[in-house]
Amino acid sequence: MINWANLVSQMFNGLVLGALLALISSGLTIIYGTLGVLNLAHGAMFMLGGYAGYVAFTYTDSFIVAVIAGSLFVMVAGVVMERVIIRHFYGRPDEDQLLVTFGIGIVMVELVRFFFGSLSLTVPPPKILSGITSLGFMFYPTYRLALVGIIAVALLALFLVLYRTRIGMIVRAGIEDSVMVDSLGINVYRVFMVVFGIGAMAAGFAGIVNAPVVSLTPDMGEAILVQTFVVVVIGGVGSFPGAILGGLIAGEIISITSMINPGYAYVMLFAAMTLVLVLRPHGLLGTQGRA
Amino acid sequence: MSLLEVHGLNSYYADSHILFDVGLHVERNEVVALIGRNGAGKSTTLKSLMGVVRPRSGQIVLDGVNVAGKASHAVAHAGMQLVHEDRRIFGSLNVEENLILAGLTADNKWPLDRIYEMFPRLRERKGSRGTDLSGGEQQMLAIARALIRDPKIVLLDEPFEGLAPVIVRDLMKACRDLAAEGQTIVLVEQNLAATLALAQRVYIINNGHIVHEGRAADIKAQPDVLHRYLGV
Amino acid sequence: MIKQRPFLVETLTAVGLILAPFILPHLGFAPNTVNRILVWGLFGIGFDILFGFTGLLSFGQSALYGTGGFVAAYLLTRAGFPHVITSLFIGMIAAAAVGYLVGLIALRRTGIYFAMITVAIAEVFFFVEFNPLAEWTGGENGLPGVPSPSFDLGFTHITFSSGWSLYGFLAFWYFIGIVVGLRIVRSPVGAVFRAIRDNPLRAAAVGHNIHSYKLTAFVIAAAYAGFAGGLLGVMQAFMPPDAFMFHTSAELIMMTAIGGTGTLFGPLVGASIWLFLQDFLQAALGLGAAWKLVLGVIFVLLVCFLRRGIVGGIHDLYLWLTRRGESEPDAPEGVPLPLGADVTASDTPAMPVQPRATNGYDGPILQAVGLTKRYGGLVANSDIDFTVNHGEVRGIIGPNGAGKSTFFKMLTCEVPPTSGRIVFEGNDITGRNVTDVCQLGLTKSYQVNQLFSRLTVRENLIIAVLGELRGKFRLDIFRKMDNVPGLTEQVERTLAMVNLSARADTPVTALAYGEKRRLEIGLALASSPSLLLLDEPLAGMSPQERVETVKLLKSISRGRTMIVIDHDMDSLFELVERVTVLQEGRVLVEGTPEEIKGNPAVQEAYLGGVLE
Repeated sequence: MINWANLVSQMFNGLVLGALLALISSGLTIIYGTLGVLNLAHGAMFMLGGYAGYVAFTYTDSFIVAVIAGSLFVMVAGVVMERVIIRHFYGRPDEDQLLVTFGIGIVMVELVRFFFGSLSLTVPPPKILSGITSLGFMFYPTYRLALVGIIAVALLALFLVLYRTRIGMIVRAGIEDSVMVDSLGINVYRVFMVVFGIGAMAAGFAGIVNAPVVSLTPDMGEAILVQTFVVVVIGGVGSFPGAILGGLIAGEIISITSMINPGYAYVMLFAAMTLVLVLRPHGLLGTQGRA
Repeated sequence: MSLLEVHGLNSYYADSHILFDVGLHVERNEVVALIGRNGAGKSTTLKSLMGVVRPRSGQIVLDGVNVAGKASHAVAHAGMQLVHEDRRIFGSLNVEENLILAGLTADNKWPLDRIYEMFPRLRERKGSRGTDLSGGEQQMLAIARALIRDPKIVLLDEPFEGLAPVIVRDLMKACRDLAAEGQTIVLVEQNLAATLALAQRVYIINNGHIVHEGRAADIKAQPDVLHRYLGV
Repeated sequence: MIKQRPFLVETLTAVGLILAPFILPHLGFAPNTVNRILVWGLFGIGFDILFGFTGLLSFGQSALYGTGGFVAAYLLTRAGFPHVITSLFIGMIAAAAVGYLVGLIALRRTGIYFAMITVAIAEVFFFVEFNPLAEWTGGENGLPGVPSPSFDLGFTHITFSSGWSLYGFLAFWYFIGIVVGLRIVRSPVGAVFRAIRDNPLRAAAVGHNIHSYKLTAFVIAAAYAGFAGGLLGVMQAFMPPDAFMFHTSAELIMMTAIGGTGTLFGPLVGASIWLFLQDFLQAALGLGAAWKLVLGVIFVLLVCFLRRGIVGGIHDLYLWLTRRGESEPDAPEGVPLPLGADVTASDTPAMPVQPRATNGYDGPILQAVGLTKRYGGLVANSDIDFTVNHGEVRGIIGPNGAGKSTFFKMLTCEVPPTSGRIVFEGNDITGRNVTDVCQLGLTKSYQVNQLFSRLTVRENLIIAVLGELRGKFRLDIFRKMDNVPGLTEQVERTLAMVNLSARADTPVTALAYGEKRRLEIGLALASSPSLLLLDEPLAGMSPQERVETVKLLKSISRGRTMIVIDHDMDSLFELVERVTVLQEGRVLVEGTPEEIKGNPAVQEAYLGGVLE
C-alpha cells in the first residue's frame, strides 16, 4: 500500500535535490564545455561555499550575507585556482588535468578540516523561512519549499547570463569554438577564467543555500561530486539544458528509490547512467564534439 | 612603408616544417593573392599571420608593429582579420549575434547597417541560427564578421570553396566592391580565374617556399610558370 | 625502462624484503606500518599496470579491493571456510570477475568519461555494500574475526599472527605480485599496454584489438586489488567497510602518483612516504589531522612539477647523468641526413612479403567498385571505381576538393563508405575496421606522425611486428619477449629498410624530424603488408629530405604494392608508375605520369580555365 503523502513528499525532495544537482552540474558542464577540463574539485567547491557562508553567518547573523559571502568566496577561489594552476595544464594530457583538479579538491577538503574539524556544523534557515508549511494533505519543511524557488531563481539567473548577456554570448561561442573567439579579438584566456569563476560560484552558491537542509561536514562534497558526474553523463557534457534535465532525472531517481530502499538509490542512478551510455553515448542533450 | 611586411617566416605543424623562410609584402589598398597547390602552405601562411599558428621564427610587421608570435586576439587588435577556410561561424548563435560578438572589442566597428547593405541576404536572415544558414550565407557571415572590426587588412582563406557559381559571383562582386573602397586584402584561393580577376599582385608558394612573385596580369601570360607550380 | 638484466629487479626486491625487518625499525617504521605499506604496494601493482602502463585512470579500484576483501573475509568468518590462502584466491577471482563486468561498462568510453564512470562505480559499490548487502558484509561494522593464516605441517603449526610474524606472509605475496607484474609488463601484452597508453589510434592501426587489451588490464588490476583486499582483512583480523570507500581509491591514486607511475614500485614507494609522513606528521610534529593536508599539497606539487613521481624522477636523473656523453640527435633541419653508406636501391635488403592466405587469388590486389561517401548533403566521393594490381606503385592526385583524403580513409577502413565495395586480395573489406584490415595485410603511413612517443625506435617497431605475429589479441601475459619467434629478425629487417638501425635504441623524443618520418613509414612496414598506403609521406620536408625519402620509398616498393598521395608533383611522378587523378569526388583519368602531364583535362582541372 503506497503512502501517498510519503510519495509526494519524496517527489518534492527529489525536486529539491534535482534542482540542486542541476545548478551544480551546470557549473561543472560549462567549465568542461569551454575549457575542456573536468573539475574534480567541484564537490569541494560546493562544500567550501557552505563553510564560507557559515563563517559569514556567525559574524553577521544574516542569511543573505552568508549566501553572498559563500558564493563570492568560492568564485574567487575558482578564479585563483584557474589562474595559478589550471591554465598551465591546458596543453597537458587529460589524466594530468584530472589528477591536478582532484588534488586541489583534496587540499580544499583538508584545509577546511584543519580549520573547522570534522564535526558537523549547522546553518539555520532564515527566520521567515523556518518551520513547516501545511500543504493540505501533508506538512513540509518551509525552507525546503523555498529552496526550490531559490535554486530556480539561480538557474534562471544563470540562464539569463548565458543567453541574454554579452558575456554569456561569449561563453556560448567559446564552448563551440574558443580559437575563433580569440581570433575575433576576445582574449580567450580571460574567458576561461570567467567561466571557471561562474562555474565555481554556482557550486558555492548551491553549497550555502543547501546548508540549512543538511549539516556541514568537510566530506559532504564527495557524494555531490559523484552525483554531478552522473548528471553530466546523462544530460550530455557541455550542455546547460542537459544539466537541468539530467539533474531533475537524477534527483527523482535518488528520492523515489530511497523511499523503497536507500541503498538502491545509487544502484538505480548508476543503472540509469549505464543505460544512457549504451543508448545515447553523448548524453540525452549532448552534442558530438568533446569526449 | 608597406602595410604588411613578412620576413623569414618559419612555421611548423608539430615538428613538421611547413613554411620555409616565407617572405612577402602587401601595400595599402592592394589585393594580393597567394596561390599554389594543395598542401603548399597557403593556409598555414595565413594562419601564421593571424597567430592561430605560432611561427617559430620570422617577423610579421603590420603597420609598423611586429605581431609575430602574438596571440590571435592581440593580432586582431593590431588590425588583422582572418576569414578561416572552414568559416567557423558560431552555429548556436544567430547571424546578428555572430556580428555583435565580432564587433565587441573593435575600436572602430562598422554599424550593422553598413554590413547589411553589403550583404542584404544577412539582413533577411539575421535571426537565423548559424547552423541553419546555407554555405553561401555562412561564407558571407564569416566575411562580414571580419569586416565589422574595420580591419586594416583582411585575409581570405579559400572564400569560394564549395560554393555554387552563382554564389561565387555574388561574393566576387562583394570582394570587388571592398577592394574598390580601398580595403587591403590577401586572398588564398584555388579558383584561379577568380583569383587573377581580383588580385593585382600574386605570390606563388610551392612546398613551403615562395617561388614566384609578379603582377596578376603578367602571370596569365606565363603558362609555363603556372604549369610548373600549380599544374601537373 | 626496466633493466633487462635477467632477474636483477626480482633479486633486489627479494633482498630488500628480507632485509627490511632489520633496517626499517631503525628508520622509525613500526611493523604494522610496514605491513600496511606492503598491502598498498600490492594493491598498487595492479593499478600501476592499469594507469601507469595502459594509461587508464580509474577512480574505482576500491570497488574491486572491497569485493575481493569481503568475499575472502566472508568465507573465512561467516561461512567458516578454514583455508586462508584459498579464500584469498577465491576473493581475487571474484574481484577479477566483477572487474570484467565493470570493465565492459566503463571501457565503452575513454579519458574523462571513463574516469567519471569509475568514480560512480566506486560510490555505487560502497553504498551497495553498506546497505542492501549488509547481511553479508556486516554493513557499517564490517566483518570481524578474520583469522590469521596458519599452516599445519603435521609435526608443527605455523601461524602468522601480527607484526613481524605477519610481515613474512605479506612480503611473500608482495614478492609473488612483483614477479608476476614484472612478467606481465615485459610480455608482449605489456608492450601493447604501453602502446595503448601512448597512441591508441596507432596501436589499433598496427593490428591490435585495443578494447580487449584494455579489458585485460582492467581485470589484472581488479585481481591485484581483490587479493590485496583479502590481505587487508587478514592483516587487521577484520574486514573494514572503508575498503569500499572512495577515499581508498583516492589514496591509492595519490600514493602511486607520488611514488611514480609506470614503475610497478611506485605504489610501494608512495605508500612508504605516505604512511611514514602520516605517522611522522601526526606524532613528531603534533599536526594531528593536518597530515592529510600536507600530503595533498605534496601530491599537487608533484603532479605539477614532477610528472613521473619520485621513482620516475630518480630514473630520469639517472638517465640524464648517464646520457650526457651520448650522441646528439641527428642533424637539424636542412642538413642532409645520412642514409647510411651509399645507399642505392639495390643495397637495401628486400623484405619478403609474408604470404597471406590468398586462396589462390590472382586478381588485382585492391579493387574498389562504386565507392561513394556522403556527409549529409555533401558528396565527398562519388561512384569511384579503382583497381590496383600486385606490385604496382600508384599515385593519387587531384586539385583541392577532389576528395583524395576521404577516398584514402575509405581504403584503409578508417571511414565506412556510404555505398560501394572494397575488395582486398579477394576479401570484401567494406565496412571493416583498421585493425582487421591491418591483419589482412593493408597498412597506412600517416601524414602527421603517429608514433609511440614514450618508447624507443625499436620498441615502436616491436609493437607493430607483434600485431602481425600474434594476431589481434593474445593473452600471453607470461611470455617473454625473446620467446616470440621471428620478432627480433623482423624488427631488425624493418630497421634496416628504413635506415634506423643506428638509432634503434633512441627514444622517439630525441629523433630529428626526418628520422621520425622514417619511423612512421617503418611502423606501417613492420607487419610486412602486401599493400602499403602512404599519406603525404613528403609533408613538411626540405628539398634534400624529399630526394632522400623518394629514394627510400623506391627501395621499399620492391616486391610490394604501394599507393601514394602527395602534393609534391615532381617527387611523386618520379616515384610512381601509374597515376589516378580525382576531381570533385570522381575519377577524372588514369595513366602513366607522362600521359597525365600531357593531358589537357588534367591541366584544366588544376588551372581552372585560366589559360584560355
